[in-house]
Amino acid sequence: MSDVYLQALISGLMIGGVYALVAVGLTLIFGVMDIINFAHGEFLMFGMYGAFFASVLFGIDPYLSAVLALPLFFAIGWTVQGVLIRPVVGKSHAIQILLTLGLSLLMQALAQFLFSADFQSLKLDYGSATFDLGGARVSYTRLAAFLIAMGLCAALWVFLQRTDTGRALRACAEEHEGALAVGIDLRRMYKIAFGLGIACVAIAGIAMTPFFYVAPVVGPKFTLVAFVIVVLGGLGNIPGAVAGALIVGVVESVGALVMPSPSLKDLGVYLLFILVLLFRPQGLFGAKGS
Amino acid sequence: MSLLEARSVTRRFGGLTAVNAVDFRVETGEIVGLIGPNGAGKTTFFNLISGFLRPDEGDVLFDGHSILGHKPSDICKRGMTRTFQIVKPFPEMTVTDNVLVGAFNHHGDTGAALAKARSVIELVGLGPQAGKLGRELTVAGRKRVELAKALATEPKLMLLDEVMAGLTPSEVGAMIEVLGRVRDAGVTMVIVEHVMQVIMNLSDRIYVLHHGEAIAEGPPREIVANPRVMEAYLGESFVAEAGAEPAT
Amino acid sequence: MAGLRANWFYLIVLAGLLMLPLFAESDAVAAVMPRGLTGSALLHVFVLIFFFAYMSQAWNIIGGFAGQLSIGHAAFFGIGAYVSTICYIHFGLTPWLGMIVAAAVTGLIGAGLGLVSFHYGLKGPFFALVTVAFAEITRLVLLHWEFVGAANGILLPFSPDPTFWEFQFTTKEPYYYIALAMMLGSIALVGWIARSRFGYYLHAIRQDEDAAEAVGVPTKRCKIQAIALSAALAGLGGTFYAQYTQYIVPDDMVVGRVSVEILLGAVIGGAGTVMGPIVGAFILIPVGEATRVIFEGGGTGTSLSALIASDMGFADKFLAYLDYLAAGGGGGLAIILYGFLLMAVVLGMPGGVLPWLAGLRARAARRTRARS
Repeated sequence: MSDVYLQALISGLMIGGVYALVAVGLTLIFGVMDIINFAHGEFLMFGMYGAFFASVLFGIDPYLSAVLALPLFFAIGWTVQGVLIRPVVGKSHAIQILLTLGLSLLMQALAQFLFSADFQSLKLDYGSATFDLGGARVSYTRLAAFLIAMGLCAALWVFLQRTDTGRALRACAEEHEGALAVGIDLRRMYKIAFGLGIACVAIAGIAMTPFFYVAPVVGPKFTLVAFVIVVLGGLGNIPGAVAGALIVGVVESVGALVMPSPSLKDLGVYLLFILVLLFRPQGLFGAKGS
Repeated sequence: MSLLEARSVTRRFGGLTAVNAVDFRVETGEIVGLIGPNGAGKTTFFNLISGFLRPDEGDVLFDGHSILGHKPSDICKRGMTRTFQIVKPFPEMTVTDNVLVGAFNHHGDTGAALAKARSVIELVGLGPQAGKLGRELTVAGRKRVELAKALATEPKLMLLDEVMAGLTPSEVGAMIEVLGRVRDAGVTMVIVEHVMQVIMNLSDRIYVLHHGEAIAEGPPREIVANPRVMEAYLGESFVAEAGAEPAT
Repeated sequence: MAGLRANWFYLIVLAGLLMLPLFAESDAVAAVMPRGLTGSALLHVFVLIFFFAYMSQAWNIIGGFAGQLSIGHAAFFGIGAYVSTICYIHFGLTPWLGMIVAAAVTGLIGAGLGLVSFHYGLKGPFFALVTVAFAEITRLVLLHWEFVGAANGILLPFSPDPTFWEFQFTTKEPYYYIALAMMLGSIALVGWIARSRFGYYLHAIRQDEDAAEAVGVPTKRCKIQAIALSAALAGLGGTFYAQYTQYIVPDDMVVGRVSVEILLGAVIGGAGTVMGPIVGAFILIPVGEATRVIFEGGGTGTSLSALIASDMGFADKFLAYLDYLAAGGGGGLAIILYGFLLMAVVLGMPGGVLPWLAGLRARAARRTRARS
């Protein structure tokens, strides 16, 4: 394998790890509430702005921000679910999509109003440091983002498997009436799911601020990529989402090499997406069936 | 030539055979009853012959032509329409518009279709409720709209999936009267029903499905006396005592 | 009775709109419009209203009537603009005919997209996602295709003394009447559809696809026809936009925000109704334009980046930031309002404004009947 491809593979896996956290948030919300959140990427954007301003104004390191963001964005997600999303749970998908589209439009414009449409990026002392891995350059900040994202995905997985709340969430995802019948408080579960989902995506954003620009328009790309991943991995399937994310990350970075222009890299991802939607809507890893 | 003929139709879901090698015939002008305990595969069988599901094996002929793989709308154009057990009125349309959608099956022009829809609405006795929205109707109203939508497509053969379920005894009586009028209008029918009184009174012939298989076929009087049918409905131990109608 | 009264209302509005350009400069108009919004500035606002009403009406056919939520109509709009512009620049084809070519091309693309999506049974959110991905792919292709100007887009050749066939005008009035005609044409077309078999079939599909199929509605074919027609009309709108603004560029046209703006009018006014998109546009555009005029006047002239980098104390920075926000911040207030309106309508009157009003009227009538 030539060096450029090794480099592309490693970069792809790194960014794929971050995508995994974004997608896991989306798929958790979808799995538990059956809601498709078109405003997902906007929470990532606000996470990035939060970390950006915390750093430039107060000198708070983004990695510290990531820790603080967990309770903060969990609370934001909890509230948004309680106020905006709860009324449309169980309604038609069209209504849910339109509501979250409205939220996404509002959040983007709000960011433009508050932070202007300018692209910002964080300049950190350690931002451009790299190390050598078998001939490929690996950036410390990208590796850190990858590790944080993977760690959180794993933690979420353990939480869902081992704790009572986690098991209750999974019960909701499988069978709403059944969960209700065994005395699970669905409303609380929805809030927890949305809070966790939002916290995941916001932290993914924060983990990227050391090497990724911030702008009000940064969100939709991540929303779409997360959808691609979630569909690849099978809706509501967390390990599937992680695997799908790594695939998408690699497709994207290898795409940047083979496409006539690096900024066409997303083309491959979207084509893959449409093909999967058409031919394997249950995901690459899901069982064939209804 | 039979109007409808199903030849050894089979459908499996995973490991479960929901409908197993069922042979089924309907002659023009008949009313054929299809009965069987819950889970016997009646609705699946309807889905198979109306094009909503594709059989794994076997063939379905309507008017002498195989309709295997045809879309339900195409089958409806050829003259076979079905109703749904879980009724599906268009919730945001008035009763008239609901029926109008069916009437468009053979009338491209809105005026002609509307005239057809109005006559069907009168036939099934929905006149007073014509302006109500689908979602505003009572169960009895919904069942009638379901029937009217199907009738408005001007079918040769109509498959009725439990149009009596959830109706009060007097509503059942009224519906039987409506079905009588439909038969007099020359429409052949297959009816799935739990209300035995209806099946026994209306049907010329009855098929009994059990665990996905057709276990009996014949006129109502033979069917009530058939020990295998008793067994299917009541379980073996009751066969000795059971003589009269199975409970509904 | 109510229908008759509504018709009179629409007729009077129409008469007013037909005559408006004659009085656009008059004192009477200046007296009622805020901030001296008269003349060509006023006509511009109305061109926007007509145009958005038209685009939203195009979306309404597939998104409203057929209930298949497309969030990618910006792609058809953009492709339409590019097709007629390329025909004009490279083949000298008048945009009046280019418009037809644009509609044909986008209609075919729409049919193709529909064929693929509906053949594989994509529904609800999955169809919506395919349209999003389709729009993104379109944007990426336009952005990298040198022949169509790539990221720089195309500046339409300026003609100082344009003829009618160039579809360029030195005043706003012709654009005003063309946009008005397009809007009226779209109303007539959709009004006709609504009373035809096709319209009833689309409504049936939106409400229950299986039930529709069972009574003979060829659901797949109808949906494909609906998206083809919708895309063709959107493509036609693209040509108008290109001729009106004289500049087309992928990142202004084929982006998610435009796709959402296209569906906004219909959803707010009443998706699946004939007048919904029109009412929606007449609410949204004035609200948006008023917000822009009132709140986004001057700006403080400082950029946020400069503010952050300045060596003021924290308190001073904060005050300067408040000034910055008071002067309109980075803009976007109108869009904030659009997002808010969309959520409010979805939560408060899910069918849109017109069906909500109809519901109110029906309830009032029932109450009157109950009393008498």
